[in-house]
Amino acid sequence: MLMLRIMTWISLRLGRRIARSVLHLVALYFVLFSPDSRSASLSYLPRALGRPATWLDLYRHFFCFATTIHDRIYLINRSYDLFDIDIQGKENIRPLIDEGKGVFLMGAHLGSFEVMRAIGRQVPGLRVAMVMHQDNAQKINDMLAAINPESSMDVIPLGRIDSMLQVQERLDDGMLVGMLSDRTLGDEPMTEINLLGASAALPTGPFRMAALLRRPVVFMVGLYMGGNRYQVHFETLADFSNIPTGQRSQVVNQAIQRYADLLNHYTQLAPYNWFNFFDYWQSVPASLDENQHEKSDEGSK
Amino acid sequence: MIENNTSLQLEIAELMVQALNLDTTATEIDPEAPLYGDGLGLDSIDILEVALVVSKRYGLQLKADSENNHQIFSSLRNLTEYVAAHKTN
Repeated sequence: MLMLRIMTWISLRLGRRIARSVLHLVALYFVLFSPDSRSASLSYLPRALGRPATWLDLYRHFFCFATTIHDRIYLINRSYDLFDIDIQGKENIRPLIDEGKGVFLMGAHLGSFEVMRAIGRQVPGLRVAMVMHQDNAQKINDMLAAINPESSMDVIPLGRIDSMLQVQERLDDGMLVGMLSDRTLGDEPMTEINLLGASAALPTGPFRMAALLRRPVVFMVGLYMGGNRYQVHFETLADFSNIPTGQRSQVVNQAIQRYADLLNHYTQLAPYNWFNFFDYWQSVPASLDENQHEKSDEGSK
Repeated sequence: MIENNTSLQLEIAELMVQALNLDTTATEIDPEAPLYGDGLGLDSIDILEVALVVSKRYGLQLKADSENNHQIFSSLRNLTEYVAAHKTN
């Protein structure tokens, strides 16, 4: 937390331009001295870029990541005017917010989900509760407290039997429930998709949950486009409000496919915004295998 | 009372089998086995589904902030006892 306090001080006192010179050093450090991050990045970049990755690509990837993390300081501090945020697809979410029946907002570890803090003026009523693991929730709340004690985030911690009942209550209250659906919630099966030309695994949990609670699902990304520019996209992902009897698994699979298509689209639009720093493709066979052993009844669902 | 609970337990087991499309039959579910994780092998979303189906059928109000949720959903027997005590229809 001390490092964070120092960085917060530099960022807020000296301004974003000067603070960013530190980020260049951070990115350089990772390129030179973090072989794990490097190999994770190299497992992804060539697929998104459609060509071999260079040192400069690695540098841009790490710098993009460092920037979105760093910009959180300003977003949490409500310095929204620093940023030029282009919002596309507002029409895909506004009517659903106005209806007040609750909406799922699905993102990915792609760009900055945090940037949604800054778009409250353009998209009124965007009250979001984030579903995440307990230890992540703790880290984030520590971070928020260190940067701006007045800021808060509505978090629904996973791993408790009643986590899902909390999700339901927030939705009933007309709130949006946000999740980053490209990583597993913990204990649910995975399904195979095609991502950037190769097999990868997506968790089915977030989609099953949305179907079970019969809510519309909107996809959201906040892509960092260089300088002070972000591009937010809202896309219709699925509407589970009225699922015909017996077709749930079918519509869930369609939604997962649509999510995969959106990931394919946006990773190619903004390749340096992918922030899963592990070999996303490598994990496929192991996790699928494991689930076949553990959950032999899954085929019938 | 014990008689009633046995038939209620079977009814709840039946609801679970149907809702979750389980490969087991209602009578095969061990009432003492944990529903979550090992045991019946349900994941958190399956549990949510059970909660939704059971609340609808018996007119229960399951609250997210209840301290007892972990206990209620720990096994079929505990779930049955809770339903028996709180059902409104």
